[in-house]
Amino acid sequence: MIKMKMRTLITAPAVVLLAMALSSSAADKTRFNAKPGKDMKVRLEGTSTVHDWQVEGPIIAGNLTVGEGFPTEPGMAAKPGKLDAAVDIRIPVNSLKSIEKDGRPYSDRMDEVMQEKLKSPPNRNITFHLTGLELKETAKTKDDPYLCEAKGELAVAGTTNKITFPVSILPLAGKRIKVSGKTSISMKDYKVEAPVLVGILSTGDKVTLSFEWPVMQAAAPKAVEAAAPK
Amino acid sequence: MSENEVKPLDYNRRDFLKGGSVATLMGLMGGVPLFAKPGAEPVGESKPDTAKYKVAIIGLGRWGREILNTLTLAPGAKPGYQVEVAGICDNYPSALRRAGELVPGAIKTEDYTTLLANKDIPAVIIATPTHKHAAIVIAALKAGKHVYCEAPLANTIEEARAIALAAKDAPKQIFQAGLQDRSDPERLFLLPFIREGNLGKNLFTRGQYHKKYSWRQQSPNAQREKDLNWCLDKTTSLGLLGETGIHPLDQATWFYNQKPAAITAFGSVMAYAEDGRDVADTVQAVCEFRGGARAMYDATLGNSFEANYEVFYGTNGAILIRDSKAWMFKETDSPLFGWEVYARKTQFYTEFQTTGISLMAGASKGAVTPAKEGDAKPALSGALFSALGSFVRNCNDYTNAITDYTDNFGDDAEGLVKHLAEKVHRRAAAGYLEGYQATVTVVKANEALLTGKRVEIPRELYELK
Repeated sequence: MIKMKMRTLITAPAVVLLAMALSSSAADKTRFNAKPGKDMKVRLEGTSTVHDWQVEGPIIAGNLTVGEGFPTEPGMAAKPGKLDAAVDIRIPVNSLKSIEKDGRPYSDRMDEVMQEKLKSPPNRNITFHLTGLELKETAKTKDDPYLCEAKGELAVAGTTNKITFPVSILPLAGKRIKVSGKTSISMKDYKVEAPVLVGILSTGDKVTLSFEWPVMQAAAPKAVEAAAPK
Repeated sequence: MSENEVKPLDYNRRDFLKGGSVATLMGLMGGVPLFAKPGAEPVGESKPDTAKYKVAIIGLGRWGREILNTLTLAPGAKPGYQVEVAGICDNYPSALRRAGELVPGAIKTEDYTTLLANKDIPAVIIATPTHKHAAIVIAALKAGKHVYCEAPLANTIEEARAIALAAKDAPKQIFQAGLQDRSDPERLFLLPFIREGNLGKNLFTRGQYHKKYSWRQQSPNAQREKDLNWCLDKTTSLGLLGETGIHPLDQATWFYNQKPAAITAFGSVMAYAEDGRDVADTVQAVCEFRGGARAMYDATLGNSFEANYEVFYGTNGAILIRDSKAWMFKETDSPLFGWEVYARKTQFYTEFQTTGISLMAGASKGAVTPAKEGDAKPALSGALFSALGSFVRNCNDYTNAITDYTDNFGDDAEGLVKHLAEKVHRRAAAGYLEGYQATVTVVKANEALLTGKRVEIPRELYELK
């Protein structure tokens, strides 16, 4: 009985401390979920020997989880340097559609060819996993974005490469953030065979990928309750 | 669309550059072809194992078989849109057997509910007699199917409204009315051209359907013969105005962007008076629009001269449309567009002293410079092929979009409906509202014919409430 009491005396504070640590850790992180709507867009632009082409998609699924120091409100103070952020994104290949310069649909056949070249299925999504985010320039006013550099792993057609690119973080009213960015990728790097029609056209290797990704703060996770001592 | 509609393939085989056809005359008079832009050239071929979208066809009369032929045999069906006719249905075993020869792997059933219950078939095409559409369409929508319903939607405004409202209440499903001209690349090309006033002030449009063909079908079984000849019975048929007139009358409302204000119509049994039918085999209708223009339509089963076409007349010119081809004639005093300099011209018929201009949708200067005869290609496909292509692709896109959305954002029904409405492009096709409105027009046209009176159509009747 004494041993049990001793164990309880030793164990109980540890449990409480652990619980406090966990709840503190959870409280430090804020999760933002992707919010589909008119502002969400991914765009691919490329060239060919006939004309430039463009593709857009309305779905960038995933979430952004941020820690302390990440600018989540307009005009919030933030020091240049490493930001605590985790991002995982999925772009369904099916949702990407070719368009004319004025936004009207361009070609069903081009969409089919694009899906084949992106090897979907089985690679149904283009994915991105963030490995590092650094704030380069803080917002000048509360209406301005925070300019950052993102590093991560981009997977296209089953091939993954590390990429680095500029990103802009714009906190908005209503616990929303808009993340935008642009980068250039090479189809060859992802083993994507550029479409060719022999004697008629060939497609350029470089593709510009840009995106606008609005996210909204999710409900805060409940803190872990400390276990009551027995 | 009546199962008795003339097969488009008949037109494609007819060479109307020979003989005394209107198109020949138009060609001699300087009518020049107006071509829609062909579809983008394929870059590589689709993989042979590309998954095919499964559809079922309910109703295998003449028009149902035409749809089946188009889906299985039309040139360019593969690659183009990948479709599999996975099920067919008709309550007449002989029709089922005959159609089944084209699709031996399809489920064959006399009971359409079998196909509606099949989870592997996401879309159905309903080509039964018009008066049987409502029950099947509404059941299909309730079963979660995408639906293509032939036009007219129904024989009565009440049933057409019920169909349209059921479709409106199923925003995650595609509903397409069988107004195939609304998917035709040539007409889609002409639409802005006419709406932008390039014909000057719109005066009137005239359409005709002429085919010497009794519509009557025979069967050794008396009940079957009665069922087959539903279109010759005024209790089950809107006659020529409904079954064939719906297309040019809808086209007029579409191009003029107005709904008819009144209709006058006439009709008689002239050519087949001896067979006891009470549905007119020769009809004429005049449709009045509020802006002053009129649409005139005549149809007869007693004469084939000049077959089917429509002409739109304006103060600056006229456009003749036949099948999926069009020719334009400009008045000599009409203002220049500017691109006439580069367009192909055909020597005018000397008595009329006019030059016809070749129009080509989406053409560059280089594309419309004079070309050798026969170089220009007509629009790639007929209206039915385009309409079915739109349907299958729209269904496929909706299915994929729903999967993408729910996989990534969960079961948010309201968000999904908004996403489908705002972010998923739908290829040109008639929806439930267009189908309902076109049906209202022809029901009223038939009413005018039967009563012998001018029938006014209140604006509210075209609203779907």
